[in-house]
Amino acid sequence: MEAIKKEYWKDKANKALGISPEDARITKSYLSVAFIAILVGGFLGLLQGMNRAGILELPVWANYYKVLTAHGLLLVVVLSAFFTIGYFYAGLSHSLGGLLPKVRKMAWIGFWMKIFGFVLAVIPILQGDASVMYTFYPPMAAAPMFYIGLVFIVLGVWMLAFGAFINVANWRKNHKGQHIPIISFFATGVFVLLFFGSLPVAIEVFYIIPWAFGWIDTINVMVSRTLFWAFGHTLVNIWYMTAISAWYVFVPKIIDGRRWSDMLTRIVVIALVIMNITGGFHHQIIDPGISESVKYMHVFMSLAIGFPSLMTAYAMFAVFEKTARKKGGRGLVGWYKKMPWGDVRFLAPFIAMVAFIPAGAGGIVQSTNQLNQVVHNSMWVVGHFHLTLGMTVVMTFFGVSYWLVPFVSGRVLTPAINKLGIIQTIVWTVGMVLMSGAMHWVGLLGSPRRTSYSTYFDNATALSWDPYLFFLAIGGTLLMIGVLLQVYAVFNMMFFAPKGETEFPVAEEEEDATPTPMWTERWGLWIVLMLTLVSMAYVIPLVDFIVNAPPGSPPFKTW
Amino acid sequence: MKGIYYVITLYIFLMLPPVANLMESVMIIHMHMQMTLFVIIGFLLAPVLQKKFPRFFEEWNPNGIPGILLFVIVMFYWTLPRSMDEALNLWYIELFKFISLPFLAGVPLRDSWKKVSASVKNGLIILFTLLFIAMGWLYIWSPNQLCNNYLLIDQITLGWGFLLTAVCMISYIAYSYITDLAENI
Ligand code: HEM
Ligand SMILES: [Cu+2]
Repeated sequence: MEAIKKEYWKDKANKALGISPEDARITKSYLSVAFIAILVGGFLGLLQGMNRAGILELPVWANYYKVLTAHGLLLVVVLSAFFTIGYFYAGLSHSLGGLLPKVRKMAWIGFWMKIFGFVLAVIPILQGDASVMYTFYPPMAAAPMFYIGLVFIVLGVWMLAFGAFINVANWRKNHKGQHIPIISFFATGVFVLLFFGSLPVAIEVFYIIPWAFGWIDTINVMVSRTLFWAFGHTLVNIWYMTAISAWYVFVPKIIDGRRWSDMLTRIVVIALVIMNITGGFHHQIIDPGISESVKYMHVFMSLAIGFPSLMTAYAMFAVFEKTARKKGGRGLVGWYKKMPWGDVRFLAPFIAMVAFIPAGAGGIVQSTNQLNQVVHNSMWVVGHFHLTLGMTVVMTFFGVSYWLVPFVSGRVLTPAINKLGIIQTIVWTVGMVLMSGAMHWVGLLGSPRRTSYSTYFDNATALSWDPYLFFLAIGGTLLMIGVLLQVYAVFNMMFFAPKGETEFPVAEEEEDATPTPMWTERWGLWIVLMLTLVSMAYVIPLVDFIVNAPPGSPPFKTW
Repeated sequence: MKGIYYVITLYIFLMLPPVANLMESVMIIHMHMQMTLFVIIGFLLAPVLQKKFPRFFEEWNPNGIPGILLFVIVMFYWTLPRSMDEALNLWYIELFKFISLPFLAGVPLRDSWKKVSASVKNGLIILFTLLFIAMGWLYIWSPNQLCNNYLLIDQITLGWGFLLTAVCMISYIAYSYITDLAENI
């Protein structure tokens, strides 16, 4: 009883005072690492773009493959993961009445484990012993230290996942019969996927380490690739889920609207959690060793993940229209005038959502077996994920940063920074449209991804790529400007903006919303369903790869 | 009850020869996915039938036990390697599969589930867990081909599928045991 009362007062205090300094420090640290990663990673991206366009010859000590590995890791593993964690830990802290001291400790241990692992992984990359790309699957082999670093990164992630579970479980114990607050519901889904999605890659890495050391001579390439993609695909969807959590929970508040149906939002989360991991197979459409009928059936699985995504698009536009009409917007499209276009906290995520329309369409193209043959491993794919990640996800993160950073640092968003944010959003949009447009197109013309500049002995086809690659470089330059503006804005808001209170903008439900049924809280059941689906999907190819295993591959150093 | 048309569409879709042939071409998909989907279809169709023929269900399945028994018998029948072979070779056994799984397994399961006690439910899950472990053991370690229509590798895959499903069911039992405990404190 006493505990509950105390809990209640803590809740109240938290609502009034924002976030406790200890919890804020966690989020600030994670966000700082994320934005430093984008600074360095963006610069490396620019180098690559220049190299691909034939404008810049990279010096020997920074060869293209080394730079590409670092770019991939910094942006995909560091930026996205650190932002996601910082963001959700702020959400957990805010909505659950503060982090438990134990969980706070876990968040710090996880932080340093991740940093330590990252340093271990970067050393061999800089030495040129680990240019295996961020996908790192065999038969290319890096120095063992690279994989040991990855182990620490995974362990750090688990620390944070369990920290989140402990905090949520503790809240549920004290709030029987209540729904987990919506942002914590998203966080639970994301950490469930992070944990279960990183299990296969942990197995893969533990299998690679003895091979990289030379304790075993050969490795089963198909098993490793399959384990990698079970993880790689899930990771991509985790960022997507992080982005849509902001769309569902915060964007409506920023436009002074109400949240879309709480029940359907939770069902989208559950559906994404259950169906996600098996999507890994759509990265292996060209791989040998998986029978055609199995690949064919996986088209359905991939498209099934598309369904909740489409629901999201519908939901968001419904929220926008409803809100604008309440404010007096009229006509079939005229209500658009009532949206706060001058507010970066709305504009950036809005453009991110629009970008998801072509990005999602491209994704459907890629999951279609025959079309995949056309674009596989071409620059098209790079264009695709710069649209999905570089625009849909990252621009949402940028938009979030304009209230999350002031919130955790007890400062406010000034009109000047808001204006800077609007300019940043426009620069980034133009840059990404140019760059990813050029990448898509030149990919269709046959330009391969992950390949240093070459004219292939002045082959006519290869020469025809040059104009597009030039556009790629222009887009990349704009993006670099965008990175600089964004990083400046973040650190300005973190350390220099005027002090003040910023709200944690969680939107309310509609008044007449249908109550959400309690079964949506049965996380154990969703996890069991997810595991069942994963076993069904993986048992066929894995048994085949293992029982009919080829001799296996020795390690290769191709660079 | 508009959803019923989706269920009927799915039912017909799964019976279309190219769809059925594709699913039956892989042993584990035949047994674990196609057959499960048919049971689920019956499960989803049940409310309509219950509404149409309330007397029938009251008379034949008053306490749920006959329904559960029927479900168990039909399910056991379809886990036999021989019955899968026959479904592939004889068109009328295939037809029987299409009818028996929804209407003699899915429908009675739905009708009984609300009527039986928690211990019967748990007993049923445990029974199927044990069955799945046994089937997994049989299919993985049997030195012979048990089905004429499928290769040994298909059989081993199916065996692992059974074992993994059993593991999932055990996790479910453990989960509901723990949360029940938590809720009763
Ligand atoms: C300044 C902004 C950026 C520029 C100029 C840029 C440019 C590039 C270029 C030129 C490539 C190499 C394509 C190839 O040759 O195969 C590349 C690859 C890649 N980029 Fe970016 N990019 C930027 C931002 C981002 C962001 C924000 C993300 C993700 C959050 C991202 C993720 C990736 C990934 C995962 C790869 C693939 C690495 C691989 O193939 O191993 N990039 N980028
Ligand atoms: Cu994917």
